[in-house]
Amino acid sequence: MYIIMPSGRGGGGSGRGLARGGEGGAIRGRGRGRESGPGRVKSRESESGGIKGGSKVLVTPHRHAGVFVAKSKADALVTKNLVPGEIIYNEKRIFVQNEDRSTVEYRVWNPHRSKLADAITTGVDNIWIKPGVNVLYLGASSGYTVSHISDIVGPEGCVYAVEHSHICGKVLMNMAEKRTNVIPIIEDARHPAKYRMLVGMVDVIFSDVNQPDQSKILGLNASYFLKSGGHFMISIKANSIDSTIAAETVYQMEVEKLQMEELRPTEILHIDSCEEKHACVFGGYRLPRKQKADTAV
Amino acid sequence: MHILFETPGGFAIFKVLDEGKLSNVEDIGNEFLTAKSARKMVKLVAFDKFDNTAEALEAVAKLLEGTPSKGLRKFLKANCVGETLAVADSKLGNIIKEKLKIDCVHNNAVMELLRGVRSQLSELISGLGDKDLAPMSLGLSHSLARYKLKFSTDKVDTMIIQAIGLLDDLDKELNTYAMRVREWYGWHFPELAKIVQDNILYAKAVKLMGNRVNAAKLDFSEILADEVEAELKEAAVISMGTEVSDLDLLHIRELCDQVLSLAEYRAQLFDYLKSRMNTIAPNLSALVGELVGARLISHGGSLLNLSKQPGSTVQILGAEKALFRALKTKHATPKYGLIYHASVVCQATPKNKGKISRSLAAKVALAVRCDALGYGQDNTMGVENRLKLEARLRTLEGKDLGRLSGSAKGKPKIEVYDKDKKKGSGGLITPAKTYNTAADSLLQTPTVDSENGVKEKKDKKKKKKKADDEEEPKTEEPSKKKSKKKKTEAEPETAEEPTKKEKKKRKHEEEETEMPVKKKERSEKKKKKTEV
Repeated sequence: MYIIMPSGRGGGGSGRGLARGGEGGAIRGRGRGRESGPGRVKSRESESGGIKGGSKVLVTPHRHAGVFVAKSKADALVTKNLVPGEIIYNEKRIFVQNEDRSTVEYRVWNPHRSKLADAITTGVDNIWIKPGVNVLYLGASSGYTVSHISDIVGPEGCVYAVEHSHICGKVLMNMAEKRTNVIPIIEDARHPAKYRMLVGMVDVIFSDVNQPDQSKILGLNASYFLKSGGHFMISIKANSIDSTIAAETVYQMEVEKLQMEELRPTEILHIDSCEEKHACVFGGYRLPRKQKADTAV
Repeated sequence: MHILFETPGGFAIFKVLDEGKLSNVEDIGNEFLTAKSARKMVKLVAFDKFDNTAEALEAVAKLLEGTPSKGLRKFLKANCVGETLAVADSKLGNIIKEKLKIDCVHNNAVMELLRGVRSQLSELISGLGDKDLAPMSLGLSHSLARYKLKFSTDKVDTMIIQAIGLLDDLDKELNTYAMRVREWYGWHFPELAKIVQDNILYAKAVKLMGNRVNAAKLDFSEILADEVEAELKEAAVISMGTEVSDLDLLHIRELCDQVLSLAEYRAQLFDYLKSRMNTIAPNLSALVGELVGARLISHGGSLLNLSKQPGSTVQILGAEKALFRALKTKHATPKYGLIYHASVVCQATPKNKGKISRSLAAKVALAVRCDALGYGQDNTMGVENRLKLEARLRTLEGKDLGRLSGSAKGKPKIEVYDKDKKKGSGGLITPAKTYNTAADSLLQTPTVDSENGVKEKKDKKKKKKKADDEEEPKTEEPSKKKSKKKKTEAEPETAEEPTKKEKKKRKHEEEETEMPVKKKERSEKKKKKTEV
């Protein structure tokens, strides 16, 4: 059951408040040419986590552009499927019929599988990923989160998915074959020089590599590919860095390391709801010094 | 100073126009904030486009190893001699320096320059817009990824799944058409359908003769056996079918052609399937054979999916209906599914099929994992495991015999008296004695005892194990199954064996002439049961 609620957080940065789905009001993220208001008409949906078939499901846009919330008995975070009809990991889909009788397909995004979804449901201020941006994703694994990011950025944007493992790489490639805005790169993220000929400048870097030197990896990739004023998100698993010291200390250490690489953190979010001792750090790169850190670009 | 910049579309060389700015590393980035200032900073000197994705892949693959490709070397020689070259990779720089004598630099300033160029790439290279770069990048990345993963088109298991589907379809079609030929031609020559049983031969025969009156003149020896041919010619004369016109016969013949070509294609397809199976899943083919292996893969959806299944699932793949029915009604679940048709399981006695099927399924699961996820493809693992399985089968079969004939340690296991037991001698531990009428004969036939005694021994299932041990010097078969079979067929060798002490034999040695017949029959029946 995915409820969009604030989670009481002790310590650590700005645990943001309510992230309620934008009901009716501010209609953002029209980048995908969606029709009027929230598609409220009877939805014929296939098995959706907690949502029984046949019941009315209300799909409204989330505060973050490109993300949607499906409301019925249980709430779910969904993204609009870039390739209607295709699912990646047996995820549930929600079909919504509009007034003009066309069906829109949404895929459910599971916070237990995806750290970004977890961060969104926990209530992050700004994920910086929206329709039309270019994203570099380090540690793509089999491409679950990548597929949802690809849904969000749409055909105008681009996701460069870097994954070192061959087995995951094969699955990633299969997924990328269906989605033309995903570019699979089977390389070690420690050596961005090896994929320099494939990647252009990106607006956002998302890092989920879980390596002890992940701050350095992020810094190196940022120096190659992240535009000035761009943003990043890094997921920190305390045990991957150092399992002997307290999680808080680990997060602080990582923040300091990031700052040395010109990556300025603006938000530290503990996402303990789905996995223990995890945190996400959001921030900006080479932000213009004159303005405050949390200016959206 | 020149800059070497790699794009998915080709190699680009830029000239730095204002070298003074390079000293202040931090501000280099600012120079590239707008297209205009970027153009003041660097200028495109030359661009070497990749002709196609294949060339791009080759050049990039070489770069990743750290060596410049031929195209790159020529390009650099043409444009950069005498200048310092800024490169992104210091190793590459060293090699360029060695081979082409071009000085290369790689430092923070260079990194900033490259960043700047990358951010303004479409502006700086006039022929290459963002729209062009994106599909090139996509294509190149897929090729590169496939190259890295050593994706070879030979190892696609889709071919197998399609081929086996087609094989089944073809069989159905072939049967339908052949039936149609029989029916249609049966109007003209009904007797032929009973004379020639095989579909293909029927079609060939019809094709050859057309109208049945031609049968007498033609020679069918290539198609049919002599007796069948004779029968055919006979029947052709006295047939009760009606006459048909030439046009009709023409169509019937066309249909026969279809049947024959389909049959030929089916044979070709089967060969293709076999060769593909051996490439894609050599261990699996070695263990269960190509056909069963292909069916397993097709049932699992893909080789990778099949590799994720545990051995217990592999055992009953194909018997899902029976499985779930049994689970729901709390009955015994099926012991085998598709695996039943594997040769190892076919060879086993019905009692042992279940056990062997389980062992086989376990090994099959391992073999599939080897094939799907392993590197280095050969079938050693499959062959080894097959030998192990056959050895296990022999042990299983031997156990039954050993139990009955007694072990070295103790007495043979005596079965509990059960009057309703049908097998063997019924409820009797020793069969009932009947009067042997041969004993009435006045003429004494001296050789009867020893010969029949020997035959007796050999025919009895119980004796087989000991007999085997004795017979090893004579016969070469290692497998007991084979020797069992041999014994049913041929009356084996000479009476060299020493007389054995055996309860039955002792009692019946006298009643040889009539009894052997009865006993042989009974033991033959026994054998037939066990060898099915």
